[in-house]
Amino acid sequence: MKLSNGIRTWLVLLGVLLSSTGCFKKKVDLNERALNLVIGADVKGMDPIYANDAYSSGEIARVYEGLLEYHPFRRPYTLVPNLAEKLPSVSEDGLTYTFKIKKGIFFHDDKAFSEGKGRELEAKDFVYSIKRLADPKLQSLGWWLLDGKIAGLNEWRKKYTDKKEVDYSEKIEGLQAIDKYTLKFKLSKSFPQFLYALAMPFTFVVPEEVVKHYKKEFLNHPVGTGPFILPQFNQTKKIVYKRNPKFRKKLFPSEVSAEFKGKGIEKYAGKTLPIIDKVTVHIMSEPQPRWLKFLKGGIDFLSIPKDNFDSVITPSQGLVDDMAKKGIGLMISPSLDVTYVAFNHDNELLKNVHLRRAMSLAYNVQESNKLFYNNTALPAHSVIPPGIAGYIKDYKNPYIGQNVEKAKEELAKAGYPEGKGLPEITYDSLSSTVSRQQAQFFQKQMAKIGLKIKLQTSTWPKFQEKITKRQVMLYGIAWGADYPDAENFLQLLFGPNRSPGANGSGYSNPEFDKLFKVASILQDSPKRTSMYETMYKMAAEEVPWIYGVHRQSYVVKHSWIKNYVPSDFNHGHVQYWDVNLQEKVKGLEKL
Amino acid sequence: MNLWAYVLRRLLYVIPVILGVCFIIFILFNVFSPDPALLLLGKHATASQIVELRRELGLDRPWILQYLDIVKSAFTFDFGRSWSTKQEIFYMIKQGAVPSLTISLPSFVIASTVALSISLLVAYFRGKFIDKAGVFLCVALMSISSLAYILFFQWLLAYKWGMFPIAGFESGFPDFIEYIMLPLIIWLILSLGGDVRFYRTVILDEIYQDYVRTARAKGVGERVILFKHVLKNAMIPIITQIVIQIPFLILGALLLEAFFSIPGLGGMTLSAINSSDFPVIKAMTILSAIAYIVFSVITDVLYTVVDPRVRLS
Repeated sequence: MKLSNGIRTWLVLLGVLLSSTGCFKKKVDLNERALNLVIGADVKGMDPIYANDAYSSGEIARVYEGLLEYHPFRRPYTLVPNLAEKLPSVSEDGLTYTFKIKKGIFFHDDKAFSEGKGRELEAKDFVYSIKRLADPKLQSLGWWLLDGKIAGLNEWRKKYTDKKEVDYSEKIEGLQAIDKYTLKFKLSKSFPQFLYALAMPFTFVVPEEVVKHYKKEFLNHPVGTGPFILPQFNQTKKIVYKRNPKFRKKLFPSEVSAEFKGKGIEKYAGKTLPIIDKVTVHIMSEPQPRWLKFLKGGIDFLSIPKDNFDSVITPSQGLVDDMAKKGIGLMISPSLDVTYVAFNHDNELLKNVHLRRAMSLAYNVQESNKLFYNNTALPAHSVIPPGIAGYIKDYKNPYIGQNVEKAKEELAKAGYPEGKGLPEITYDSLSSTVSRQQAQFFQKQMAKIGLKIKLQTSTWPKFQEKITKRQVMLYGIAWGADYPDAENFLQLLFGPNRSPGANGSGYSNPEFDKLFKVASILQDSPKRTSMYETMYKMAAEEVPWIYGVHRQSYVVKHSWIKNYVPSDFNHGHVQYWDVNLQEKVKGLEKL
Repeated sequence: MNLWAYVLRRLLYVIPVILGVCFIIFILFNVFSPDPALLLLGKHATASQIVELRRELGLDRPWILQYLDIVKSAFTFDFGRSWSTKQEIFYMIKQGAVPSLTISLPSFVIASTVALSISLLVAYFRGKFIDKAGVFLCVALMSISSLAYILFFQWLLAYKWGMFPIAGFESGFPDFIEYIMLPLIIWLILSLGGDVRFYRTVILDEIYQDYVRTARAKGVGERVILFKHVLKNAMIPIITQIVIQIPFLILGALLLEAFFSIPGLGGMTLSAINSSDFPVIKAMTILSAIAYIVFSVITDVLYTVVDPRVRLS
C-alpha cells in the first residue's frame, strides 16, 4: 500500500512532535541539589510588608530574613536568633528590647547598590523596614502586628496620613539604631508576643536604596540577605531560586527535639547552610495535577489532596503498601488552627446561652470529622489548639455533641421545646463545594432537634462583608495561628476586637476581657498559662461558637528529601533541607 | 459606502459602547460588590485601616469622579496597578497574553481546520455510514464535560503513558511545544463536536440549494461542487463563527490554564474576580468589549470579500 505525500508528511511531523515530548524523560542532574516544591496559589509579590498570605510569606522568606526565626527541629516552637547575634536583652519592665545584630552580613548584589555589590546590613535597615510597615502611604498588610505597640510609631504614622510625603528620617522614640549594629525597640505597652512579630516576614529587613531605586517595582526585585537569590520576580507559575554564593557562614543546628531524633537529622549538625543549590517552586492550583506530578517525582513532598486520601491512607492511619514500596513516606503533624461555627452575639435570639448550648450539643463533630477531614482531625473542645501553652489536654467540653437528648433539654430551657416558636435561623458559608456540603451537614444536624436552618452562600469578599456588617446569624469559618501563642486564639473572643477586627462573632464577656487584658501583657509564665486555662474553660462553657476541629496535616514525601519536617512556621527553613541525588535516581526508577 | 468610511464609522461606535461598559462596571462594582478594603486588609482589619485604605484607593470620592476615572482608563489604557498583587495591570496583561495565545491560537487554528475538513467529509458522504458515525461521535463528544476530558487525558497521556509533562509552561520556542501539546489535544476534542455539527449543518444547507443541483446537472464533479461552490457560499456563517471566537482566545481557556498551570489571562481574570481586584476586572472587561467590536467589524469586512453581494452601508 502506498501512502500519499500529504499523509507521509503528517506522519513525519507527528513522529517529530512525539519524539520531542513523550519519548524522553528528564534526567536527574547529579551536579546540582535541586528541590522541587509546590504551592496552591499565586504569589502576590516579593515585598515583605504585603506578605499576609501563607504562599507569599513563604516565598519572601527564601530571600529575606528577620532578626529571629523558629528553630526548625525543636518543639514546642522556639525562637532563635537569625540576623540577631543573640536573643535581645529585655528591660525589667519588659518594655525595652535591645538587639545586637550580626556583623558581616551582606545584602544580595543588585544594581541599586554602588558598583552593584550588596552592602553590609546595619541596624538602621531594621528601623527603615519597620517604618515602611507603618508608612500610611504604603498601606502595608502587616501593620496590625505593631499597631499601638512601639512608642511613637503610631504618632509618626498618623502625622503623615494626610501629608503627601512621609519623612523616614524623623526619629521615633521606640525605634532606634543606637550604633551600626545595635537596635533598640521601646514598646508603648507590654507585648510579650513582640518577639514572634520579629520572626514574621512582615518585619524582615529590606535595603532602603533598593526600595528607592525600584520604587513601585520593588516588589519584583527582591534583594535580601537570605540564603537564596531571585534576580527578578515574575507573576508566573514557576519561581526558581539559586543559592546565594555570598551567604554568611550559618551552620546546621546541633540540638534536635526528641521527636526528630533518629531520622538522620543530627548527622547534618555543623554543616554549612544552605545545603541545596536550587529551589523550584511550582504554582499549581488544582489538586489532581499536583498529585500526579508528585507521583511522577516532579515534586518532593505534598499535602495529600482530600480526594486521594482514601486511596493512600489505610484505616490504621498508615501509608498503603504500594506507596511505601516506592519509598514514599508519610508525616502527620497537628496544625495550629481551629474550625468553628460562630454565633453572631449581636443577634438578640443568639444571646440565649441555652439555645447556643442546644445547637452545640446537636452538632455531631465526630461525623463531621469523618466526612470532611477523613477522620484525621482532633475534635476541638475550646479555642486553643494542642501544642500551645493554655491548651488543656484532657478537658472535655460539656457541650460538645452529639447528644440529642441533652440538646433537646437545653432547647426547652431556652424557651423553644422541640424548636417550637423559634424563628428560622440563617447559616452563611462560602460558595465552594466543601463549604456548601458542610453547611448542608450542619442543617441536617440541627433538624434532629427541630431547628430550621436556612443556608446562604457567598463569595469570600461578600462573606467577609456580611460578617463585618453583622448581616449573619451563624457562619462557618476557621482560624490559623499567626504565631504559637494562645493570645492569638483567645483574642478571637476579646470584646474590643469585635468586627471588623478578628472577633467576628462579637462575643463579649467582661470577665473574659478582663483576664485577657492582664494575661496578654504577661511574659510567658505559669501564672499566664493558668490564666489562659481559665479563659479556655470559660470559652468552652459559654459556647460563643460551636467548636469544630483542630486539623492535622498529612504530608507524603519522597525518600530523597531529607530534614523536611512539617511546620506551621517554616519560613526560611528550606535552607536546612537536602536532596540525596543518588537516592533520587533510584527512587525515580521505582515510580 | 467606501470600505474605510464604514470601518471608521463602526469603530466610532466603540465610544458609546465603552461609555456604557464603563457605566455597567461602575454600577456593578459600587452598588453590588462587597467592600474591597475588607478583603485586601484580611483577617486583622481594623475600622481605621479600612477608612485609610478606602481613601488611598479613592473609594471615598464622589461617584461621578470614580466613574470618570474608569472612562479615562478605558481611553488611555492606563489601568493602574492591581489592588491585590500591586503589579502594573498593563504589564500583567502583556505577560499573561503570551501564554494564553500560545495555547489558544494554535489550538483554535488546528481545531477549526480539522472541524471544517471533517464537516466537508461527512457532508460529502451525507446520509451514509461515515456521516451517521460522524454525527454520533460529535454528539458523544459534546455529552462529556470538559473537566472529565482534562482529568482523563492528564492522567492517561501525561501520567500513565508519560507522553507529555503533567503541567507547566516554558516560554520561548521550542521549549513551549511539549507543554502545549496536551492542552491542544484536549482543546481539539472539546471543540470538535460542536464545530463539526455546526459546519456540517451550514454546508448541508448549501448542498440542497438550486445552484448545486444545476451544477450537478451540468456534470460538474462532486468534489468541485463541494470545495469550489458550496464551501465558498457557506463562508458567511463560518466566518462569523470563527472570527467572533478570536477575542475570547486572548482571554485564555480558564480550565485548561488552571489544570496545566499556564500563567495566562484566564487564571489572572479568575483570581481578580475572587479577590475583588476591581482594576484588573475593569481592564479585562473594557479590553474584551473593544476586542469584540473590532472583530465584529473585521467579520463584516470579510463578508464583502467572500460574497460580493454583501454591501457595507
